[in-house]
Formats: sequence, structure tokens, C-alpha cells
Amino acid sequence: MISYIIPALIVLLLVYALFKRTNIFTAFIDGAADSLPLLKTILPCLATMLIAISVFRSSGALDYLISLLSPVFSPLGLDPKLLPLILLRPFSGSAAVAITTDLMAAEGADSLVGYTAGVLMGASETIFYTLALYFGSIGIKKTRFTLPVALIASLIAVITGIWFSKLLFPF
Amino acid sequence: MNAVFACMLLIGIVVETVKNGGDAALASLLAGANEAVTLCVSLLGAYMFWMGLMGVMQRCGLMESLSRRLRPVIRFLFPDADRAAAPISLNLAANMLGMGNAATPFGLEAMKLLNENNPRPTVATNAMCTLLAVNASCLELLPTTLIALRQTYGSAAPASVVLPTLLSSACATIAAVILCKVLSK
Repeated sequence: MISYIIPALIVLLLVYALFKRTNIFTAFIDGAADSLPLLKTILPCLATMLIAISVFRSSGALDYLISLLSPVFSPLGLDPKLLPLILLRPFSGSAAVAITTDLMAAEGADSLVGYTAGVLMGASETIFYTLALYFGSIGIKKTRFTLPVALIASLIAVITGIWFSKLLFPF
Repeated sequence: MNAVFACMLLIGIVVETVKNGGDAALASLLAGANEAVTLCVSLLGAYMFWMGLMGVMQRCGLMESLSRRLRPVIRFLFPDADRAAAPISLNLAANMLGMGNAATPFGLEAMKLLNENNPRPTVATNAMCTLLAVNASCLELLPTTLIALRQTYGSAAPASVVLPTLLSSACATIAAVILCKVLSK
């Protein structure tokens, strides 16, 4: 049902535009052409962020940070297997998907760990990537309170995610 | 962001060089740059399509009239949204439906419009900070990729994650909105 909504909206838009006597062919080309200068501005931001993330991960500094933080998190009733996911999620979407997939394969999708991993994956976002992309695309240098608010919000998502997973675990 | 970037880069390079040698450090730096290029190429297709549609929306005047109608709806969160009201709404809608690739072009269009009447073009406005914060807490109604992933790994009830995901991302979004409201002063 939900999969029909987007195509239906697209058809609706095109019919409306034709009804308004718009040349949708040239309008679409003009719009699509804007994606090239956009990509030109976002590629340097992405590269900058991903270079830092890449070397930080492969050096093992991130694993060290995880082992350093695990005694802090374990009193909260957190399975240490989830810690790499929680700490990597703000930096890299693909790494987070990889960890979630590993956990589901190893522990089972219907185990508490696999279930919680899914919830944490769905309830949070790759903050650093999104910030670099959005602010980089228009050349904003001072991001003011965005990063602290985004980090606090995702911390709340993690804490409540773990809690709601335990509470609503159906298996 | 500058401090975060500097820490990650410096710690990463030093630790990697000491542990695995200079060649390995250089290789992982370049691997990051390559990843960015690959990602951009795969994003370009989606951007072309959604921005093409956005072009049609602009040409037929739908973007303007949507912005006018949606302005009162999102006034609480974005008092100074103005012409960016439509792209902001579309960005939030696409996020809620779990369509990240469609959300990004709308979000970037919104950022561009918000920066047009920004008195200090290199400093983020309240509306920009709020848009990013709400994006970061990503209230998602139907996490389609997640459900598909659980199905692949043999879950008996793949969609059972929807409720806890929704509740915890709602908590995060509410917190983000309150914090932004307080700090926007």
C-alpha cells in the first residue's frame, strides 16, 4: 500500500504541471543540471569528513575509545556487543549497517541484542556526515549549537532505544 | 566541527603510523577520499532524478504555493522559514518515510534558500540549526530498510521493531526541538 504513495505523488505532480502548461521536459533537465554544481560543492566536504573517519577507524583509535568507554556504559544495563554500533553510528552509516548485520547473523534477528541493534540503527542518524554535507553545501563555518544538540538527541535515542527494546521485546 | 575534525585526523594519523607504519596511514587516508568519490557517484543518480522533479515543481509554481500553505504549519519550528517552507516540509516528509536519498536534495535546497536572506552568510541561522537537529533525530514512521534486513536474517516478526524505534526517535526529536527552541533565543 505505502509503496504506491510515492509513484502516485510523482504522477500527480507531472499531471498538475502539464495542466499548468509547463514544459516538464526542459524543467526536469534544468533541475537535474543543478545536481552537478551541488555535487561539486559536497564532494570536498564528504572527502574531508570520510578521510578523517577512515584513518581514525583503521588506526584502532576508535576500538581503543570503545574499550575505554565500555565500563562507563555497562552499569546502564547495556550489552557490550552493542557499544561499537552506538559509537560508530554518528560517523558512518555503512559501518553501522555492517555491525547490525553481523549482530543479527551471529545472535539472531529475534534475540534481544539483534532486536535492540535494529532499534538503535533505526532511531539514529549519521550526524557528522549530515552536518558536513548540509553546512558544507552553503559554506557555513560557524555551526553554533547544532552539533551539541544533535549529539544529545542521539544519546537520548540510544538510552530510550535500549529501554523501549527491553520493555517491548516480543520474543 | 573543526575541533572534532582535527582530533580525529591527528590521533588517527599518529596512532596508525606508530602501529602500522607510514604506508598504512597514507593508504587509509586515501581510502577515505576514494570512499567519498564512490559515494558521490552513487548519489548522483538519485540526486539527478529528485532534483529533476524539483525543477518541475519550481517551474509549475507548485513549490511557491506549497511554501505559502505550509508556512503556518511549520511556523512553530521554523518561524523564519519563508520560501524554504516547501523544501523543509518535503525534507521532513521524505525522512519520515525513510527515503534518505530523496530527503537530501530537498534539505540542501532548503539550506540554500535559508542562506539567501542570512545577514551573516557563514554563520548558521536558528532555522538551519533546527533543521539539522530534527534531521539528526530522524523521526521515522516506517523503517523499510530495517524491516527488510530483519526479514533477511529470519526474524519471525520483522516489523516488531517499528514501535520501539518510533518511540525512541520521537523522544529524541522532542528533546531536539526543545533544546533548539531554548537555544534559539
